[in-house]
Amino acid sequence: MIHVSRLTKFYGDYPAVQDVTFDVGAGQVVGFLGPNGAGKSTTMRILAGYLTATSGSATIAGHDVVWDSLEVRRRIGYMPESCPLYHEMRITEYLHFRAGIKGLYGAKRRQRIDYVLKRCWLEDVRRQIIGTLSKGYRQRVGLADALLAAPPVLILDEPTAGLDPTQIRSTRELIRELGREHTILLSTHILSEVEMTCDHAIIIHRGRVAAQGTLSELKDRASAGAGLVAAFDGQIDDTALASLEGVTAVQKESVDGIVRVRLKSDDVASLTPRLCNLAAAKGWKVREIRPERPTLEDLFVQITGRENA
Amino acid sequence: MRATLSLIHREFSAYFYSPIAYVVIAVFLLVTGYLFSLSLLQLTALGPKGISYPMQLIVNDVAFWLVFLFIPPLLTMRSFAEERSTGTLEMLLTAPLRDWQVVMAKFLACYAFYVLMWLPTLLYLPVLLDWEWWTTRCGIDPWTVVATYLGLALAGAMFLSLGMFVSSLVRSQIIAALVALFLSLIFIVAGIWRPDLDASGLAYRILFYFTVPLHFERNFGRGVVDTRQLVLYISVAVLCLFLTIRSLESRRWR
Ligand SMILES: Nc1ncnc2c1ncn2[C@@H]1O[C@H](COP(=O)(O)OP(=O)(O)OP(=O)(O)O)[C@@H](O)[C@H]1O
Ligand SMILES: [Mg+2]
Repeated sequence: MIHVSRLTKFYGDYPAVQDVTFDVGAGQVVGFLGPNGAGKSTTMRILAGYLTATSGSATIAGHDVVWDSLEVRRRIGYMPESCPLYHEMRITEYLHFRAGIKGLYGAKRRQRIDYVLKRCWLEDVRRQIIGTLSKGYRQRVGLADALLAAPPVLILDEPTAGLDPTQIRSTRELIRELGREHTILLSTHILSEVEMTCDHAIIIHRGRVAAQGTLSELKDRASAGAGLVAAFDGQIDDTALASLEGVTAVQKESVDGIVRVRLKSDDVASLTPRLCNLAAAKGWKVREIRPERPTLEDLFVQITGRENA
Repeated sequence: MRATLSLIHREFSAYFYSPIAYVVIAVFLLVTGYLFSLSLLQLTALGPKGISYPMQLIVNDVAFWLVFLFIPPLLTMRSFAEERSTGTLEMLLTAPLRDWQVVMAKFLACYAFYVLMWLPTLLYLPVLLDWEWWTTRCGIDPWTVVATYLGLALAGAMFLSLGMFVSSLVRSQIIAALVALFLSLIFIVAGIWRPDLDASGLAYRILFYFTVPLHFERNFGRGVVDTRQLVLYISVAVLCLFLTIRSLESRRWR
């Protein structure tokens, strides 16, 4: 649905996005991850037709974002980062105006406005002036606007920034539901959000794609660092641990008489019973044994930390 | 087309959310009303005083041109500068509208406000023209009035499009207004300052070419429609609108 190839954007001399290539298939919900200043918003602005790339190309639903910009804009719902709105208008007035410029009229317009007001929990405040709304409500107006024309593709730049915890939760649920009807590209810094709402992720760092794939693929990539964490009371013999079959590295630290070891291994599942047997044979007092599951966060830190160092 | 109408509608109603619009209309009506009352006195005066054309006094007055100098920048300063500073331009330019539609919609909305501002002055006309409603005849030649309104309509388009172009270049409304004011001054200054020049000299002829108040004093106010002036107004307006579209387009590449 979204096809980006070798996209590069320079602001003056500064390369904000370099050689970015990715694909978003129809019906996918893709999280666009990256630290501050990674180039997420820049990429999304290019896709939405607000900026033009320095080089490279992007197509949405088969239409080029530069040469066929109008067709692209008809097919996307875009929610910019800080959600700029006309503060002096009322919500319904604003949505009426937006529906008008998006080509919705008459009964269809009223029906869509009612639908998005309900979908984004705005019915109670529909007559309120936008300038008097709180940040979270403005965010919802932005989302409502993106949904207005029922576009096949949604591009949402940090849709949950500035929301309270319950709102974040319901917005995530909404995004998951919307994911059944729309193709969604959403950017965020919150990793757990991607794990909850998306099935694919693209990690971008300093303007380049650092990793992309389904969530489980990405976790597998992170699992280079997978292993077991075990804690024991009293002293243990770490050479015995290191010689255990399948262990590639051992890290040991002791705090207050408790020894904590981190065992790296490619096959964590079969390591656990072997470790238990060893502990029983040596008479070590086991406090805990747990697998260390790689999270997206580990991968994220690996990627962003590595290049910062 | 209907999408453009939606935008025109919003832009036009946006004027009434801000106090500036009301202040502009109030000041404008106050000044033209005052000049109208002066005209009445002059038209009915006996002896060597008085004026020979009904709109002459209104469009020849320095106060009128001072007001006319300030109004277009105040009406256009918001158009793009505000949208840029608040970021709503991003919403507008990612909607399925072409850049020229956005520019034309904003221009037409602002022009509609300009026309609205002039509408109440039509009420003076029956008196100024010595109109007899039972015969529908005018006591005074109406063409001077028609020519004046034609001139005002086109000169307004010129100043408004100039202001819009400036607004599309900057982020701050104040700077947009000041720069537009300064550029408009080029076309108006000689009408306020009124240099004492020989009307057949080269300096005067050059000045006359682009000084709008002089056009009204010598031509429109007397019922003369000179195509050179119409061409000047229309071409500056078209050029500025074109440059505004270009300036919006170029922003995408930055
Ligand atoms: N208009 C601009 N002119 C110059 N540089 C810019 C401009 N917009 C963004 N940048 C720079 O481009 C880089 C990428 O910015 P971008 O907004 O795409 O980051 P981001 O990934 O969205 O970050 P965040 O998570 O903070 O929103 C940043 O270093 C930023 O300073
Ligand atoms: Mg951003």
